[in-house]
Amino acid sequence: MSKFGVDLEVHIASLRRYARALLRNGADAEDLVQEALTRAVARADSFQAGTNLRAWLFTILHNVHVNQVRSKAARPQEVDVADVESKLVSPARQEERVELREMMRAVDELPEEQRKVLLLVALEGLKYDEVADMLGVPIGTVMSRLSRAREAVRAKLANEGGVTLRRVK
Amino acid sequence: MNAHQATGRVTEDELHAYVDGQLDGNRRLAVERWLAEDPEAARRAEDYRAQGLLLHEMFDAVLREPPSDTVQELSDRLKGRIAFNDNRPAWHARPLVRFAAAVMLVVAGAAGGWMGRGADQQGAAPVAQQRQTLATFAQEATQAHRFYTSDERFQVELGADNQDELNGWLSKRMGRDVFGPDLGRVGYRLIGGRSLPTDLGAGAQYMYANDANKRITLFVGAPQGGNQSNFSFTQNGDVATFYWVEGPLAYALAGRLSKEELLEIAKAVYQDVKAGPPRREPPPEQQPQQQQPQPQQDHPPGVQPISDTQKAKES
Repeated sequence: MSKFGVDLEVHIASLRRYARALLRNGADAEDLVQEALTRAVARADSFQAGTNLRAWLFTILHNVHVNQVRSKAARPQEVDVADVESKLVSPARQEERVELREMMRAVDELPEEQRKVLLLVALEGLKYDEVADMLGVPIGTVMSRLSRAREAVRAKLANEGGVTLRRVK
Repeated sequence: MNAHQATGRVTEDELHAYVDGQLDGNRRLAVERWLAEDPEAARRAEDYRAQGLLLHEMFDAVLREPPSDTVQELSDRLKGRIAFNDNRPAWHARPLVRFAAAVMLVVAGAAGGWMGRGADQQGAAPVAQQRQTLATFAQEATQAHRFYTSDERFQVELGADNQDELNGWLSKRMGRDVFGPDLGRVGYRLIGGRSLPTDLGAGAQYMYANDANKRITLFVGAPQGGNQSNFSFTQNGDVATFYWVEGPLAYALAGRLSKEELLEIAKAVYQDVKAGPPRREPPPEQQPQQQQPQPQQDHPPGVQPISDTQKAKES
């Protein structure tokens, strides 16, 4: 397997994880990735060798998502929380996964713009300037969204059982 | 961010950049000094980091789910479109590549690692504790690597001249079938092994060397009822270590190599371990071990890392 092949596979796995975290629904997430990759294939010529493939892919995914949200604006985007949890957390472990449920809820309650930044940085490990380019906002905006997201989640978790979080080191 | 650079004061942004590993060395030291003196800030950094670990716990399971056929097909096409000069046989080892992808994407360096889906049916062992145990295991592997690569005279207890003997002996020590994978295709040959006590009971250390006499070690242990499949990476000084659980055994591969170099070897180990021991003539005493009862054998079938679900397609 070439280095490029592995890199691409890594980026796509990362896209899939991000899409799942963002949309929470496996089928929707896979659709989003599919749509993004379709565009990526169509626009492959515009990708310049040696530039940041991951940022390029994430930007395409972001644009597709924005468009999808726009076109689905009439339809509510909500997903039943219990349904989501049963998919993401193995049921047998629920009692010890309290902090996961709380985290899930706290992240859910973030405004989408903050949630995106948090997921891109803390889950996908994107650089701040990559996130800024991708979202088309100044880096300062990225930082303030990140800071607000983290503080909001922190306050939420502290309210509902700050002790449990301490354990996760 | 820059206004404070001169004064040495630490900014809010820098605290985040510190947590996210996006600070250069000098500023990192400045932040660390600040955190040492400001417990409230230290708590925040710790909480932010914990949030990241929780996110990984919630969503890393996606890394092991095979993509839909359409997504896979599009990935292949994209690769064809972008990598014109890439004429290697493409995607011949899909589960392996997915393993590599998962390893690269899990949280690095933290004691956290990744608890996969279906982590523990028995529910008795708290996940945090399991994680701690595996982190300890990786630490032991790293220390053992340091120790036994420091002096060539004592590097192995038993040489690899007779591999069946070596594997049989270590299997007996551990009460489980273990073997030293063949890493010839990544340039490393088995030179021998030793048995070591670990936090998880007896462990086995296999040592390999390449032509430049660079040595790597594979540490094998038996986790408590661990049927979860963790892929984690930790860097301790100059020693890099990948560790994960496959079936009833935990593996830690340690070497003074870059993460990428070590990953290539981890892939080879993973592949070999999944394929099972080389079939030579089975030593007669290698019946399923009677000496030791094995309480942790209730691994439900089908709990596998990454996924072999595409095997059928590839044949």
